[in-house]
Amino acid sequence: MIRFDGFGKRYGRQRAVSRVDLAVRRGEVVALLGPNGSGKSTCLKAAAGLVRPTDGSVEVGEPLRSAALPEARRGVSFLPQKVAFPEALSGREVVEFYRRLRGAAPGRTEAALGMAALEGAADRPVGTYSGGMVQRLGLAVVALADAPILLLDEPTSSLDRAGLAAAHALADRGRSEGRAVLFSTHQLADVERLADRVAVLVDGALVGDLDRAELADRLARRGVLRLRVARAPATLAAALARIAPGAALHDDEIVVIGPAAVRAAALEAVRASGAELRGLSSEEGRLDLLYDELVGAAERAGPEVRA
Amino acid sequence: MSAPTRLAALALVARQEIALAVRSRWTAIFAAVFALLAVGVAASGYILSGGSGFEDFARTSVSLVQLVVLVVPLAALVMGVLAVAPERGTAELLFSQPIGRGVVLLGQLAGLFVALSAAELIGFGAAGLVVFLNAGEEGAGAYFLLVLGAILLTAVFLAIAALVGAGAVGRKRVRALALALVVWFAATVLVDVAALGIATLLRSTAASRLLVASVVLNPASAIRVGSLLAVQGTAAFGAASLALLRLTGGPVGAALLLGASVLAWIVLPVAAAIRRLGHIDL
Repeated sequence: MIRFDGFGKRYGRQRAVSRVDLAVRRGEVVALLGPNGSGKSTCLKAAAGLVRPTDGSVEVGEPLRSAALPEARRGVSFLPQKVAFPEALSGREVVEFYRRLRGAAPGRTEAALGMAALEGAADRPVGTYSGGMVQRLGLAVVALADAPILLLDEPTSSLDRAGLAAAHALADRGRSEGRAVLFSTHQLADVERLADRVAVLVDGALVGDLDRAELADRLARRGVLRLRVARAPATLAAALARIAPGAALHDDEIVVIGPAAVRAAALEAVRASGAELRGLSSEEGRLDLLYDELVGAAERAGPEVRA
Repeated sequence: MSAPTRLAALALVARQEIALAVRSRWTAIFAAVFALLAVGVAASGYILSGGSGFEDFARTSVSLVQLVVLVVPLAALVMGVLAVAPERGTAELLFSQPIGRGVVLLGQLAGLFVALSAAELIGFGAAGLVVFLNAGEEGAGAYFLLVLGAILLTAVFLAIAALVGAGAVGRKRVRALALALVVWFAATVLVDVAALGIATLLRSTAASRLLVASVVLNPASAIRVGSLLAVQGTAAFGAASLALLRLTGGPVGAALLLGASVLAWIVLPVAAAIRRLGHIDL
């Protein structure tokens, strides 16, 4: 388990994170979203014991212990945002070094290299690796330890399809094996694919914490139905307003925003009105738009309100 | 398998540092520089006095002391800072492992110390073979003491590198390297020159105290004077060395004081670096 309890961090006069309360339970994959500089990396580094809280606490493991303690870090595997390795070492030497440091079984080295699709390049110096291969090597190191807590700082940036599959497999396996996984990302496709919960940070403050059901509900409420009609009767606008108050009728286009049931009712109302239906499209709410909405609202509210 | 003990973790980090140093071209250059310096000094030692032929070990050692005191601290400071202040992504991954930050730092220092000392031994050893073949074994003990001095200098300036560079990741790394060069210049040139310059303006007793302080408090001077004391006895000493001998009552007292200074310059910077590293955000 990972628990941020009123976590705050200042770097000199600069406040990076303000009073974040967040818990990641076993078997849960939580995505940290937010614009650049919103405090995502600071939160992850605090859970990895690299950054000490200015306010509150960050604890990991069961029983919970301060993340700064080396014993607590035994249960934590952290992938830094721009992971790097000594260029003179081979991929295999890097993984073997961390395997020994974590006290993992000898067979784990090959398994980790295989998971990261690096078997063919394992004996080449890291200096000859591409950025994506270095990132995959980082995933191999993280996968070594079978740690109950995985902290991944933008794990899919610069990954190709094989690397992406490795990153997704790592998180999926973490969930199925009962680990607590916290990852930051700007890739909303990762969030949709992996996350059980989404936490949104803006200017260091947690402005949203939505589980999968809440997320689905919010997205459903933002579904969009577009209809192209002809010969719409004058009464149609009023009928639509009763069903979907936000519905808009412009010339020959009707736009209805709302959950699936509202959109279906609106469609039925159009049909019943006798209007000629010439075109129809419907889509569920988009995560990027919801994210923009959350971030935009938080930015408009200003730092005083968020804090 | 269970997690390694602190000592085993330290040994793992040290072993990796040795592997990196062995593959670094700078370590090879360092060894080659020592061999060339020693052979060059031995081969050209009589040229200024109009003679020719190889100097023996004792004369070669005395001639080499100044060069060793310049080159070894520079190499130890630069390579030390680069080792203890790796790239941000490397540092973050390493320090997120379940071992103490102090263990990582000590492992890095131990590995680099072994690698640099080995490079010095190879360089001096190769040159020593050339000197032995050309000038015989006369004064080989002095040469051995010079090598010991070089190894002590390595330990001292790696400790100072730890203090300067520990935890300096990202942009701070460049600042740490710049600071290391300032420390090198101060320790090998500035302190001695300044102490001598100021001493000329003081009365005898105060001047002696200042010169002794400049030797005891500056590790480069302490090892240079200690090496000369070991190689040459009390012959051909400079003003600072003579003042030190007067204050300590002779070579034994001087050796003890210089030994304490060197030990302090190894232990205190490392202790301070570990303490600082334990409190900083990475």
